[in-house]
Amino acid sequence: MDRRIFLGSALAGAVGATLSACGGGSEADPALELASSSRRTTTTTTPTTTTAAASAKSRVIVIGGGMGGATVAKYLRLWGDAIAVTLVERMPTYTSNIMSSLVLSGQRTVSSLSYSYDTLRSKYGITTVFGEVVAIDPVGAKVTLANGTVLTADRIVMAPGISFDTVPGLGTSDKMPHAWQAGPQTTLLANQLKAMPTRGVVVLTIPKTPYRCPPGPYERACLIADWLKVKKPGSKLIVLDANPGIVTEVDNFTNAFMGLHGNVIEYHANAEVTSVDPSSMSLFTTAGTIRGDVINMIPRQRAGSLIATAGLNNATEGRFAGVNVLSYASTVSGASKVHVIGDSSATTQPKAGHIANQEAKVCADAISRILSGGSPDPAPVTNSACFSTITMSQASWLTAVFQYNPAWLNPATGITGPAMVPVAASSAASTGWNKENFEDMGEWFKALMADSFA
Amino acid sequence: MIKRFRVLIPLVVVAAAASTAAQAQVGQAGRLLASNCFQCHGTNGKGPGFDDINGKSVGEIYKKLKEFQAGKEGNGIMAKHALGYTDAQLVALDKWLSTQR
Repeated sequence: MDRRIFLGSALAGAVGATLSACGGGSEADPALELASSSRRTTTTTTPTTTTAAASAKSRVIVIGGGMGGATVAKYLRLWGDAIAVTLVERMPTYTSNIMSSLVLSGQRTVSSLSYSYDTLRSKYGITTVFGEVVAIDPVGAKVTLANGTVLTADRIVMAPGISFDTVPGLGTSDKMPHAWQAGPQTTLLANQLKAMPTRGVVVLTIPKTPYRCPPGPYERACLIADWLKVKKPGSKLIVLDANPGIVTEVDNFTNAFMGLHGNVIEYHANAEVTSVDPSSMSLFTTAGTIRGDVINMIPRQRAGSLIATAGLNNATEGRFAGVNVLSYASTVSGASKVHVIGDSSATTQPKAGHIANQEAKVCADAISRILSGGSPDPAPVTNSACFSTITMSQASWLTAVFQYNPAWLNPATGITGPAMVPVAASSAASTGWNKENFEDMGEWFKALMADSFA
Repeated sequence: MIKRFRVLIPLVVVAAAASTAAQAQVGQAGRLLASNCFQCHGTNGKGPGFDDINGKSVGEIYKKLKEFQAGKEGNGIMAKHALGYTDAQLVALDKWLSTQR
């Protein structure tokens, strides 16, 4: 198989917020009152922009409360008390994508992955608004909610995570869950696996890069394979990879697929799903027709739909948002008041929760500086780190540190420009896997979630 | 081989965080760099997570990171991670972390 190495990446996750209506309140905040007072301004002669003026505090609206959104809201308050922060999110709690494959192996519950926004409110004074964003004016920095409320701010930070390409033939069927946004999809897939008879066939599909959490599908495959050995003897796991080969942590996953799990996993590179038939549980792929008893169909991905709604999807063939990595401001002309972090943005960094947290800190620091009359840090550093389950009790790790380079020649595109570039010596994976890494994974997860939500 | 990167530091009891939002400290040198540590060592290096790294005497964290770089602390994730920073960056983040008591 092709042994391409994509540097960096992190275990499942990242900016997971999906934006839709959900009830919920928030305590009164001067900024929100100002913002709310601006609603329906179309019926008055007062322009909404007046609400941003002469206030003691600058105002920032964060859209999406996943790993990136929660972290940027927290650090904007921690690092700049002069900024009032309103977090708009459709769900009252966040369900972590990180660790969610362990629900499939029965080692975790979905509820154990739930995080509320209570601490962000009580400890940092963040205002939360639970509702669905329907429109964004990137030039005027205005956000319209489904209930008609218009919020205005000095800056908007968007962290809407990912959305999926439509899979031809799938329709509304729940027979081929992606379980790539943790929650009901995860429960669905877990139940389908549990109900499968022994000697069954499970299929897991990996989309073309870039997708959320590069090692995620491979670690899930390892975990399911290990679980099948114990719970469903004689079963097989077919992995259909749309890429030319394993995209990250190549040595560990190759050894695991071919060696440790070689009697369970059947791996196909260059196998892209073109359409599906849920009634016959069939996948039509560039490598032929494949049938399964349980199918984990992870579709190709793009930025959360609000990015396209706002016209910010100017990178990666229109799939993601181009940003200036000093501040994560959009590179769309006139939209520099809108910042995009996490999985929705197009950068050289992996799409994953750990690094979304760091992008959020760079963004928060930059906005704090800009709103107090300064400029962003000219040399930001970010890092990616994660652990991958190779069995139900052993894990590997993967890490990389990224340094800002104002004139980096991208070997893939031939284009020179500013980028976060992985430091070669720091870009590495563990040699093999062990139980201690699995324990460290739990510690890492606990720390990461606290740094983001508490 | 020391696989863990625990440094054996007494837990620093953090006062209630009501004051955290009051810390308007825009643009502190080393702070953004040091925030790369927070995902695993807690906000401001104060946990929860792996070793607390806040409030040490100046130079202590720098020395530890140089040992990781030199491979004197095993071949775990920190041995690689430490290699991602320049010397000046290590000095800056060490200094900032030392102020976090």
